[in-house]
Amino acid sequence: MPDVAPTIDERTDLDLVARWKAGEQRAATLLVERHAAALARFVASVGSREDVDEVVQDTFVRAFTSIDGFRGDSSLRTWLFTIARRLVLDRRRAARRRGELVEVHEGDVATEFDPLDGVVAAETQTRLRAALGTLSPTQREVFVLRVSEGMSYREIAGTVGTTEGAARVHYHNAMRAIKEFLDD
Amino acid sequence: MTDCPNGDVRDLLPEYLHDRLTLADRRAVDVHLATCAACRDELALLRDLRGTLRRAPAVDMDAIAAALPAYRAPAAAPRRVASGWRIAAAIVALAVGGTSIALLQRAGSRATPSTTPEVAAVPAPADAGATAPDEGAQPASDDLASAAQPAESLAQAIQPFERELAVAGAAINELSDGELASLVADLETLDAVPSTEVETGESLTAVALRGALP
Repeated sequence: MPDVAPTIDERTDLDLVARWKAGEQRAATLLVERHAAALARFVASVGSREDVDEVVQDTFVRAFTSIDGFRGDSSLRTWLFTIARRLVLDRRRAARRRGELVEVHEGDVATEFDPLDGVVAAETQTRLRAALGTLSPTQREVFVLRVSEGMSYREIAGTVGTTEGAARVHYHNAMRAIKEFLDD
Repeated sequence: MTDCPNGDVRDLLPEYLHDRLTLADRRAVDVHLATCAACRDELALLRDLRGTLRRAPAVDMDAIAAALPAYRAPAAAPRRVASGWRIAAAIVALAVGGTSIALLQRAGSRATPSTTPEVAAVPAPADAGATAPDEGAQPASDDLASAAQPAESLAQAIQPFERELAVAGAAINELSDGELASLVADLETLDAVPSTEVETGESLTAVALRGALP
């Protein structure tokens, strides 16, 4: 059980879950609106961007069909990220079995709005993406959850199945690797 | 780019960026940032990286919401009956099996001493009396009686266990529906918590859509 009081966001999530279970389908839509974009960012950053839509949708379907398995040990948000991560890993394993290249490349980080960026900004983005591309899969997962989503080490540990200490080490190693890449 | 030696503050920078710090922590970081160029650089880098990472493709939220099933409470009753009967069958099997094993062990341990007279009851040669006396040598009539002893003792040993076996079998069979339901309910509490592991397999969207179809 969590040793801290749930945040307002977490209480809202639990309230929406209760309303959905009571038959209010609109509550499910609100939950999708609250978390889909963050899940999409995560999936795009650690998986293949072609799969983003499908993985995010599968994440929600999985979560809602097994909602009674959600015991509230973590926040709903963390639980959703855990499901999304496992789906990404599953797809990665399946692709590996098929002999497809599954390494995450810098280009996999979404670039939907690049045409709108200025040349300098685009170059900066390219360099940053390249720096992120040097991270190991685990470093990338931890770094994305920490920097892009602002998760605590505790939440990250729950999501990727590790300890808070290990998550902290992964984050700082990732930060060091990115700085070294950018300094070269 | 240099690293600030104050690891505690560096550790807080992502949460500072996301405004997830307590007021006290935020003020402490603000004070530190005012005098630390390395941390200001790291914070700027984190802000740029966040901007890069947040450029994700938009997802079709309406499609996702439309694919979500309506809530269905777990159908506990049918599952409990089914698993209850399996458990009851397992109990019967265990009772019979366990009693049989105990029976054989007890019977074996009682039968073991009787093997000694059995060996001693090997009929002596006809001229045994003319030769040196042998403790094992017995008259023919005694030989038959001794040979019968193990069988009798085995039967005596089995008798009470046969009764136990019958009682064990009957105990389950003679339970009323209510008693059996109560037993099954008790056994249900021994069940492991159902796994919440995420299964990996076919697309869950497809599964959900199938379930949603009339």
